[in-house]
Amino acid sequence: MSDNNLNEAQKRVGVYVCHCGGNISDVVDIKKIVDEISKYHSVVVARDYVFMCSSNGQSLIEDDIKNMGINRIVVAACMPSLHELTFRNAIQRAGLNPYLYEHINIREQVSWVHKDDPQGATSKAILLIKAGVEKVLMQDPLNAIRVNAEHRVLIIGGGISGMRAAVSSADNGIEVVIVEKEKKLGGKLKRDGYVYPSDEKAVDIVNKFSKKILSNPLIKVYTESEIINIGGYVGNFDIKIKKTDGDIDNIKAGSIIVATGFDHYMPYDGEYGYKKSDYVLRLKEFIELLSKSDGLEFVFKGKKINSIGFIHCVGSRQNEGIDTPQADGKVNEYCSRVCCTSGIYTMNKLKEKFPDVNVYDVYADIRTYGMESESLYEIASKHDVIFFRRPLDERPQITFEGDKIKITTTDILSFNERLEMEVDMLVLLTGMKPSEIDDISGYLKLSKSTNRFLQEVHPKLRPVEMNINGVFAAGTSLSPMDITESLQSAQTAAMKSAILLSNPDIPLDPFVAVVDEERCTGCGRCVEECLYSGAVTITEKTIDGNIKKVAYVNPAMCKGCGACVAACSERAIDLNGSRLSQFEAMIDAIVKE
Amino acid sequence: MKEINIDVAVIGSGIAGLEASLDVADAGYKVALIEKSPSIGGRMISLSKVFPTLDCASCITTPKMAAVSHHPFINMMTYTEVREIKKNDDGFDLYAIKKPRYINEGECISCKKCEEVCPVYIEDDFEHELSPKKAISIPFTNAVPQLPVLDMNKCIRCGACARICPKDCIDYLQKAEEIHIKAHSVIISTGYDITPMNAKKEYNAISIPNVISPLQMERLLAPHGPYGKVIRPSDGKIPESIAYVQCAGSRDKSIGVPYCSRVCCMYAIKQAMLLSGSLPLADITIYYMDIRTFGKGYEEFYSEARAMGINFVKAKVARITADEKGSPVLRIEHQEEASKPKEIKHDLVVLSQGMIPAVRDFLGLYLEINEYGFVSSRDKTLNPSQTNIDGVFVCGVARGPKDIPDTIADAGSAAVSAVNYIKSIKGKSL
Repeated sequence: MSDNNLNEAQKRVGVYVCHCGGNISDVVDIKKIVDEISKYHSVVVARDYVFMCSSNGQSLIEDDIKNMGINRIVVAACMPSLHELTFRNAIQRAGLNPYLYEHINIREQVSWVHKDDPQGATSKAILLIKAGVEKVLMQDPLNAIRVNAEHRVLIIGGGISGMRAAVSSADNGIEVVIVEKEKKLGGKLKRDGYVYPSDEKAVDIVNKFSKKILSNPLIKVYTESEIINIGGYVGNFDIKIKKTDGDIDNIKAGSIIVATGFDHYMPYDGEYGYKKSDYVLRLKEFIELLSKSDGLEFVFKGKKINSIGFIHCVGSRQNEGIDTPQADGKVNEYCSRVCCTSGIYTMNKLKEKFPDVNVYDVYADIRTYGMESESLYEIASKHDVIFFRRPLDERPQITFEGDKIKITTTDILSFNERLEMEVDMLVLLTGMKPSEIDDISGYLKLSKSTNRFLQEVHPKLRPVEMNINGVFAAGTSLSPMDITESLQSAQTAAMKSAILLSNPDIPLDPFVAVVDEERCTGCGRCVEECLYSGAVTITEKTIDGNIKKVAYVNPAMCKGCGACVAACSERAIDLNGSRLSQFEAMIDAIVKE
Repeated sequence: MKEINIDVAVIGSGIAGLEASLDVADAGYKVALIEKSPSIGGRMISLSKVFPTLDCASCITTPKMAAVSHHPFINMMTYTEVREIKKNDDGFDLYAIKKPRYINEGECISCKKCEEVCPVYIEDDFEHELSPKKAISIPFTNAVPQLPVLDMNKCIRCGACARICPKDCIDYLQKAEEIHIKAHSVIISTGYDITPMNAKKEYNAISIPNVISPLQMERLLAPHGPYGKVIRPSDGKIPESIAYVQCAGSRDKSIGVPYCSRVCCMYAIKQAMLLSGSLPLADITIYYMDIRTFGKGYEEFYSEARAMGINFVKAKVARITADEKGSPVLRIEHQEEASKPKEIKHDLVVLSQGMIPAVRDFLGLYLEINEYGFVSSRDKTLNPSQTNIDGVFVCGVARGPKDIPDTIADAGSAAVSAVNYIKSIKGKSL
């Protein structure tokens, strides 16, 4: 491209400063920035706008490229992960190489952190933008790396989310490989009893999907199998699967959907009397017991059950200092979302079967959100379930007296009375916790949220995408959700994966390491430091008739982290888009002031 | 009649419709995104910041709006209303009316000169009647497309706009245009209205000016809101005490909305947090029945709000009256203390209204809706996006109350269903 040959005088920089609707402009003096930057060398135009990312804002940039011959762009706005791509697309539409662009973060790194010092914030913003101008002046036009993609998706986990994602992907014409560690598909739905919101038997839902999956020639299912390694990169993941018989299958996939689901929270011994008595059960255990119990009376282990207590938020909405941490030292601060509805649905089932059993429910907030769930709550009230509301920072006390279980709690609904009630059985509404997937998240280097579920790139912009290109997550691997919500999330993950694989080749950012073969001594220090095995290797090459050892970068595998650059004593390896010389120019611009 | 052939017709361009359109188009299928308002963006573009990340709503919505307007596979049809939908053997016929903006859209350069000279002020619906706008104006700062609309009912035919327009594009005689859209599949993303302010008579919300709707509060908090700061409507006073009345349009059989609207707890907490940022001295109280912060990061958000000093009071508000200065007085039964009813005065009260479907009549399409008017799923545990009609899918609040993250996750689900449906019928015809 002609940009390569531009001399300094021909480089025309446009700087675009975003107010972010007040997020930036409430703190920094935008007018001062624009005034000062307009005078900076090589800057032909500096403009500001309330939302540079909006259609109008983008048009400002496009128009300047077309009408004023601007050929280097600096946008000063929010963090690049939010809108770098937005601006790159605008620049490309205007006919300029999209990488001749630098994104300066003056929101998270300036206005949000220097609220009490507007002057200092403004000066810092100006310095950062000047540094950005220096960097973009030394920027070469780059082209996206294109890699061929396998038209196949790997789905990890065969629960409801994995099954849904598999069917949606196969319906889209994509080959699917499901890997499930258990004997059968179905995940947590392989159990007795019914589920809300459809009032179906859990296994009937599993059967609906199993039928579709097993009859679909595009879907291959590995059960009782385990993934023992994942290598490669978007479009070309290499997966090793260990089967029941111990044999190992190697498969390739273009994308991956992680649908590893959740584990039930396990109360520790003695938590609300769990394991201290056979009559303290987790909800899951109770549902199974109830589905097996018939007759006129509810009898369990020889005892007639006349009254049952339900305790909400066991393992959820915990507080440090009040609740006992789990083995990893953490408490679960989050709400598990489904336990209120699932618990109340089960109370209704119990009341339909055994109307004479008294039910006492101790809760903090009843979270039967939405339409059907709220009506279940109303039905429970009609069934004379008695609700007791405890304060947020108190927990009900459980003691055993003879064959009775005594619940002691403060009840807000009766104006903070201390109440005691004796029941024959206690059911703990245990929450969800993330599945143990350190192996999978380790192979793929996936981010996790503070609540230890997987961390999506952005809850609104990219809610099912993981930090690794080509990897998506679905269902309760991301956070607690119910069946319908898991299905939605799984289909969205299938959609994003299908869009990715709809092109025969996938474009990747060109920000990868490049080797100066003349300077390279082939010492291999870069290989030692590389975090992504195979991204940089030492090869032999004939240069001017001599065989020489040099580093070779596989651009599809390189993530552009720069570890190799720091290790190289010869300055023979550098990063496209973030060259050492560019950083030197940026630092010079900053210290010059 | 103009005829358009596309793969998927998406009805409604709020965040659900924008997402679904982008997904379908990115998968290589042609979309007509039909929006009855003059701009795409729906409700979300009018919000201030969005929970739980407190991103500004514009920062999330405007780039999606821009992406839709630039996408080669998306035909963005604004100010266009669907009048009839018919299912035929091949797919669907949608008959729509493109309403006149009374300007030549191809010529307009969005210079806003017409807006500057227009002498007529009318209520600004985007600002929820908190401020005026001109009878000819671009709907709001970030509107897409940036085209003015002339309100012919309010126009006094003075001709000022026509005289100043540099492109001579004012057309007082412009007629509505009929459009026939042929589609293989339809996605319903028609979103919500909020429950009416006067739904609960005991709250007197219409007669007390300092009882406002949460969407009005969003505008008061928004960076380019009507006043640039939070003041109360009756006298412009900066409120020192603000209250939220939760479930003021939900979980209440007396107003015909027995269900929970899922978003009100979180938006009230979010607004309370933003208020305590912009009015650090104000007391903020949330009167609630249950706090339902069930989404990812929401419980943590609630804890943060309590730590910031926002008061959460478990009480159902029975009645609202006003004192002589127009300050709302709430009659509550305080459940955590003595059982006596109490009357508490605040400067400004926000009614946490609920969500009801924006559209209940699908114009010739025999779409199954539930008793509250939301579109039903044929099988909730197989594919929640699938309606009772093959080829018609639903997403977002049209299917039931939902917050923004849940809506976005839902949009992809409708998109993949539509794309796969088209694949299946095209496969059969080959």
